[in-house]
Amino acid sequence: MSATKVGEPAPPLDLPDLSGTRHRLADLRGRAMLIVFFRHAG
Amino acid sequence: MKVLQRRERIDTLGSVLFVAFDERERLERALLRGLDVAYPVLVDRDRSAYRSWGLGRGSIAGVWGDPRVWLLYTRKLLGGERLRRPGRDTLQLGGDFVLDPQGIVTYARPQQRDDRPPVAELLRALERAARTAD
Repeated sequence: MSATKVGEPAPPLDLPDLSGTRHRLADLRGRAMLIVFFRHAG
Repeated sequence: MKVLQRRERIDTLGSVLFVAFDERERLERALLRGLDVAYPVLVDRDRSAYRSWGLGRGSIAGVWGDPRVWLLYTRKLLGGERLRRPGRDTLQLGGDFVLDPQGIVTYARPQQRDDRPPVAELLRALERAARTAD
């Protein structure tokens, strides 16, 4: 496991949302994107 | 979810994806809290994306030894909340990343403990990333 680094292509992201719809990062190119990974929800 | 308070600005610059790994009920109770989240909340139950993005696990001392964590839970208790059993992995760390329109990482801040960058810092990073499209 290596850290994601500035200047590199983003690793793939292909996950369902809370309603089950899949989202692929590759399909969302064309706009700047903030990605927030949460630690546990408490 | 303070970032949601800056939605208008975010929408002029780009978009947001949230990624979490807890089960839906816990996310809705502890994180979403009935908020109208305008952006997708992706669920990574096996944390494979966390691993592929290089997000590791903290130490017990690093995560639970931080006085701010205890302050947070104290505030919850004083606010009348009942503490519940912790989620699946309280040591899993998160992180914040910004990508430019070509999908290149322009900002990376993996957590080292239970810390998050200020929203203003994230917005500045998003502004810089959006400018690369010009």
